[in-house]
Amino acid sequence: MKKLSILLLILMVMTAVFAGGAKEEAAAGKSISLWTYPIGGWGDEAQVKALTDAFTAETGIKVEVQYLTYSDGDDKVNTAIAAKQAPDLIMEGPERLVAGWGASGYMVDMSDLLDAEDRAELNPATLSACLTADGKFYEYPLVMTAHCMAINLDAFKAAGADKYLDLKNRTWTTDNFIKAVDALYKYYKVPVGAVYCSGQGGDQGTRVLVNSLYGGTFTNAEHTKYTWDSPENIKALKQLYAMPGIVYDPAINGGEEINLFRNGTFKMAFCWNIAQQLTGDRTDAGEEIVFMSFPAQNGVAQLNGGIWGFGIFDNGNADKIAWAKQFVKFMCDGPKTADAVKTAQYFAVRDKADGKDISKIWADNKIMNDYNVLMKFLGDYYQVTKGWPTARTCWWNMLQSVGAGNDVTASVAKFAADANAAAAAAK
Amino acid sequence: MSLKSENKRAYYIVSLIVIIILAILFTFPLYWILTGAFKTAKEINSTSPVWWPSKFVTDNFVKLFSKRSAPLFEIGALRGPTVPGAIRWLLNTVVMAVVAMILTCITAAMAGYALAKKRFAGKGTLFALIVCAMALPKQVILIPLIREMSTLGLYDKLWAVIFPTVGWPFGVFLMKQFSEGVPNEMIEAARIDGAGEARTFAQVIVPMIKPGIGALAIFTFINSWNDYFMQLIMLSKSSNLTISLGIATLQAENSTDFGIIMAGAALASVPIIIVFLIFQKYFTKGITMGAVKG
Amino acid sequence: MAQNSPTAITRRLRRKETISSYLFLLPSLVFFLGFVVFPMVLCLFTSFFDSNLNATTPDRFIGFQNYTELWKDPVFLKGLKNTLIIVVVSVPVVTAFSLWIASAIYKMKEWMLSAFRCIFYLPVVTGSVAVTVVWKWMYNNYYGVLNYVFKGLGIIETNINWLGNPSTALWCIIVILLTTSVGQPIVLYVSALSNVDPTLIEAGQVDGTTKLQNFWKIKWPQIMPTTLYIVVITTINSFQCFALIQLLTSGGPNNATQTVMYYIYYTAFKLYRFGYGNAMGIILALFIAALSAVQFYAAKER
Repeated sequence: MKKLSILLLILMVMTAVFAGGAKEEAAAGKSISLWTYPIGGWGDEAQVKALTDAFTAETGIKVEVQYLTYSDGDDKVNTAIAAKQAPDLIMEGPERLVAGWGASGYMVDMSDLLDAEDRAELNPATLSACLTADGKFYEYPLVMTAHCMAINLDAFKAAGADKYLDLKNRTWTTDNFIKAVDALYKYYKVPVGAVYCSGQGGDQGTRVLVNSLYGGTFTNAEHTKYTWDSPENIKALKQLYAMPGIVYDPAINGGEEINLFRNGTFKMAFCWNIAQQLTGDRTDAGEEIVFMSFPAQNGVAQLNGGIWGFGIFDNGNADKIAWAKQFVKFMCDGPKTADAVKTAQYFAVRDKADGKDISKIWADNKIMNDYNVLMKFLGDYYQVTKGWPTARTCWWNMLQSVGAGNDVTASVAKFAADANAAAAAAK
Repeated sequence: MSLKSENKRAYYIVSLIVIIILAILFTFPLYWILTGAFKTAKEINSTSPVWWPSKFVTDNFVKLFSKRSAPLFEIGALRGPTVPGAIRWLLNTVVMAVVAMILTCITAAMAGYALAKKRFAGKGTLFALIVCAMALPKQVILIPLIREMSTLGLYDKLWAVIFPTVGWPFGVFLMKQFSEGVPNEMIEAARIDGAGEARTFAQVIVPMIKPGIGALAIFTFINSWNDYFMQLIMLSKSSNLTISLGIATLQAENSTDFGIIMAGAALASVPIIIVFLIFQKYFTKGITMGAVKG
Repeated sequence: MAQNSPTAITRRLRRKETISSYLFLLPSLVFFLGFVVFPMVLCLFTSFFDSNLNATTPDRFIGFQNYTELWKDPVFLKGLKNTLIIVVVSVPVVTAFSLWIASAIYKMKEWMLSAFRCIFYLPVVTGSVAVTVVWKWMYNNYYGVLNYVFKGLGIIETNINWLGNPSTALWCIIVILLTTSVGQPIVLYVSALSNVDPTLIEAGQVDGTTKLQNFWKIKWPQIMPTTLYIVVITTINSFQCFALIQLLTSGGPNNATQTVMYYIYYTAFKLYRFGYGNAMGIILALFIAALSAVQFYAAKER
């Protein structure tokens, strides 16, 4: 009996300490929660803390940060929404904030933060991606970039494939891409690149690769319909399938592709951008990594952009929404904008913030400067098309189906139809 | 005769070799995690397997401990000192598993006794319900459970993981099997001595089914520690995570740092293996007792 | 006076016993009813609705529409088939495998027996997340140890993408499931085998039966209760393969490793169709309840 009561006592103390102890909200005064995906340094606690501390110092509002990953972050947010426990602030791109949770009615319209001066300062393409058709402003953009691909230059040289590259403009034609892959395959006798499709991680790479080979598009210009069942895209999918140097790999995602690229297995990576280049421009064996535009028939690919910024979840608490807006303004158009942008390791979406010029913040960084050659290839930001989350899922399922040797036209038709059904249903 | 014994010997040797190969395969994941935790990123990512780290480095642990921080504990507004996130996650996991274990053992032992030794209205129905629910994967009730926890205000608290674990009826089933082994005469004798219900249970039943409770305790502890799904669904705030969830949040954009994963996996599995090795004698004794009466 | 008649006394005693029984059951029932049965009822309820994540469209009652759609959904049917394959394969294999290991080791010296018991239990204790990470690397197409070893031994010529190939992926998952399932059955069989009455075996040997006959006639019936128990716990275990699928293949490639358990999760959080997911849950629960009932009555027959 004595033992049992001791046991119970321990139990009570332990649970009091941990299991029930998450009631800090009432006591802590003004506080908001921010969930962020690992966008450059925004996934690193030390760097984020410096920024949020600056905000707290100025406003007295505490920010509780939580770090998501791309592998299960969406599920986390969706679970939290289902449990009515969504965070106050979230940092990601319009594909989630505008086309996903915004379209589902969970986000706060921030139009009041957007005055005429902001509209003039913000990059117009970026701004339009963050606005819905009826003018709701669900994401305040902070940074942007163009996604690209990368090659292992030393491997290309060894295989004699570097002659197919235009290293000055960082471009190559579809024909040269095919020749280069063949040369690499002849030299290494194993696949040198992968159409990864285990999930949606890094899917922008496979989308642009397929689209740009023969000039296909992912959606129509009005962002109402998915067009990846077009002949150009089917031709590209067949071409990639036919190349021995390229595998459709349903066991890996974009992140794993990068690991395989860095350790020398693959000689090219389709899931690349400036942040990867800044992380390290050498492979594990010390070979030189060069970022490239995607191959296109005329050499000019339409690169897919990435936009990141903040959105506010509508949790029904007017105070928290007001504080969250303060935070958004502080980071995106305030005294700390330059630091917030630098932390994200991408390009700013405006030249002036809070009256100060921020167009030169990367002036001393050679890689960032070099990367500007790609920024001019930035194409349409179509990730805000209706039914986007479902369409994304259909895309990698389609790649798996094609990779398994099923009829390309039939696979594409089926999954594109599913995606379009989702687009129609979301209206 | 000699041929037969030779055959027997050959069979013995062959099966021993096969078993040793299997044993290596079964030990391999743990070996790989423990060595991997001390390898450099290059060795882990290498295209040909590195069987043994050329030099034991602690980089992975340093990264694991430096990337996140959290208060050691939180009671109301009172917060403990700031520690590496991994420590808090480990502590959360221990608390979750221990609380689930204690609650399961107490409730299951009581219920198992009633089901085994008492006659009451609705017994058949209840037992059928328990048997049918035993194999049910938790994914089935995923959506309602999230909504229920949110309504009760338990979402993102360890309770949300603990309660469904305690509710899972396998423990009750197991305890019923054990209690059936207690001779009725002993219960009768206690009753004649004037012992009340509570005393009969505490002084007659519990000592008899102790090995079973021990087995259930270890069983629940391991299961709850490893119940990745419930943790994934129910916990969200960084300081509320368990160790396996926490490690997953350390991944950067579009790249996987296997070094941190290995270090975290080592941190998550070593404590539970130690617990198992210490208690494995009781465990073997306990689970076998219950089963033979199957 | 009527109060003290014998029937009244039994009735009162019965009522007293029922009350005390329920007092003993109460703590357990609170959790069982509250966090298993009640969500199950909610699940049934929601399965008749078109319910989704969208805040702007309220849930809509659609009757049995979710259920009729299920039988036309090839992914669900594939998942159901794979779930059955996993259970139908892993239960007998785990049982046979652990019986074989147990009969090979149960006569060994105590320390060896103890060591082997621990080793075969290790994958359970190591934790599914950790074990999965290692297996994922072992199965890796490009530098996994499996291809490395098989190529070294000359069994295969080119690398096999174990998890990326629809014809191997499900079997890879089943292999991992086996390694995390046999621990307890081996422990159980070892003790069941050592408890078989030695006089019975001696009697059999005198009769001149072969080893195999000896096993089926004498040992097998004796360890039958253990076998039935192992079948029950392995069935339970096989339905808990969610983490493996989620961490290794996410149901791919091409739904080759899709299971109902994972598809429920996928439907809820990738397609945002809560009602549809709940309908799947109900179908799965019915399957499992039927299976459990069959197993249980088979056990009772004995």
